[in-house]
Amino acid sequence: MSAITAILYRESKIRATNVTFVFWDFCYPLFNLLVFGVGLTAAFGSPHSTAGFDYNSFFLAGVLGMASFAIASNSSWSFFMDRDNGIFYEMLTYPMSRAEYLLGKLAFNVFIAVMQAALTIGVGASVLGIKLRFDLFPVLAIAIVIGTAGWFFFYTILALRIRRNDVFNSVTSALYFVFLFFSSMFYPLGPLPAFLRRAALMNPLTWEIDLLRYGSIGLGDPHQLAIEAAGFMLFVIACFAYAVHSLNQE
Amino acid sequence: MPDFALEIENLVKIYRMRRGGLFGRASEPIRAVDGLSFSVPRGTIFGLLGPNGAGKTTLLKILSTLIQPTSGRARIEGLDILAEPLEVRRRISTVLQETAVEMFLSVRDNLLTYARFHGIENREAQRRSERVIELFGLAPEIDRKVQDLSGGFRRRVQVAKVFLVPTPVLFLDEFSTGMDPILKRAVMDSLRDESAHGRTIVLTTQILSEAEELCDDILILNKGRQIARGDLNTLKLLSQGVYEIAVTFDALPPGIEEAIAGLHPLRSQVSGNTIEVALKAEEGDALEIVGALAKRGRVLHVEIRGASLEDIFVELTQKD
Repeated sequence: MSAITAILYRESKIRATNVTFVFWDFCYPLFNLLVFGVGLTAAFGSPHSTAGFDYNSFFLAGVLGMASFAIASNSSWSFFMDRDNGIFYEMLTYPMSRAEYLLGKLAFNVFIAVMQAALTIGVGASVLGIKLRFDLFPVLAIAIVIGTAGWFFFYTILALRIRRNDVFNSVTSALYFVFLFFSSMFYPLGPLPAFLRRAALMNPLTWEIDLLRYGSIGLGDPHQLAIEAAGFMLFVIACFAYAVHSLNQE
Repeated sequence: MPDFALEIENLVKIYRMRRGGLFGRASEPIRAVDGLSFSVPRGTIFGLLGPNGAGKTTLLKILSTLIQPTSGRARIEGLDILAEPLEVRRRISTVLQETAVEMFLSVRDNLLTYARFHGIENREAQRRSERVIELFGLAPEIDRKVQDLSGGFRRRVQVAKVFLVPTPVLFLDEFSTGMDPILKRAVMDSLRDESAHGRTIVLTTQILSEAEELCDDILILNKGRQIARGDLNTLKLLSQGVYEIAVTFDALPPGIEEAIAGLHPLRSQVSGNTIEVALKAEEGDALEIVGALAKRGRVLHVEIRGASLEDIFVELTQKD
């Protein structure tokens, strides 16, 4: 446990030296909601297949999912910075296991994710009038934590396996496009063309966002959500195991 | 408690590299460590010497659990590095060859963060850091971010950290790189002090005088293999008949460098009016050579010494 708190301490110390980063970390999903969400609601109103919910309510889970994706992408850059500073390899000789190292970094990401979710949900409810399902908040909290974990471990694998940061940048830009647009982040899957819907249903980001949507506004089919939750847990465990393996191969 | 801090048996590390590019073919495997076996008693200052690419850094990376060996066994304080890597890491501190610091943190935060990783609570870490700050002359820069410091200062911070924690084994990979002579001497004194208190120190260095002065026990590596092992006196026995001759003239005689080349020295150097030659010869022959050199000009000073560690190193690695 002390190794995890030491990593948490280190990450927060470093992040605290960059106020812009902290501000952007906390406000990123909120800005997305306020700009995209408000704009699209004004332009298109409520999507047919989400009757009873306006686009802001629908999009709230999308911005939280997008944020967990962005946190993972940002924090995986720290592997490149730590490599450049030499400290990455020194840290691997510190008294902690590779799993503790990753869990420590994850703990910091979860802290950021919870803060930004609280801010986004708070402003979304009070300013945009999103009706939250407080009874489902435990689902929302779990979805935020495992969502952040899954994408962090996924990006960690990429950062450890791809040693050139320019290649990493190209790969993650491509993945960003694929994962975000082949998902239920921006639109409900019902009216989509079959190929797009099938691709989106195989996307772990869809599974995460569906859970976030159910946990925030209660929208979703519990039977399908149970399958998606199990799928996402498998995704998290597989990514964690492979990230630890990749660290051992460094 | 084991008698040996390090026990290594038939350790092998083979690197398999790609020639580059996505479809690059695998190149010939490189045996960076090739069947090393040795042990190091507790409280020893143990030097790993060898030319570039000899396998010193690879060996330290294996011992500090950064990379895994291809085969063989290594135990630190009785703990197997593969079976119990976490327990091994609890007993070691490592200074890597490359600079390794938290660039965006202050010097003080670098020290405190390192201490925290080693489970030292904040008040104790503060107390210990005061001593280290003084030893390494870090006080004037203590609140500056490391990214704003010179390369030499960054190295100081990196080395200073390992003096904060009481791990029984310390690995230092070319620790004195970038240090000025005064600081280097202070650090060497501290290393001797740590060793006297039972800490085992394993270091690599390219500065052979440093190893000569500091190490109780030396292992010379070449191409991943052990080519010599022992304390300085034992190593000197391996190189009996090697002499270092230094002659200072009032003016360098013409043709002296060609004359020296004709002696086939292990190494030679001309600086100012002084020539320094290390060569393998019988004792009588060494005196004759000095006499012959003295006839070429007016001699101000003559010195004949036994082999230095550098001579031994050159002779053994060239022979290999």
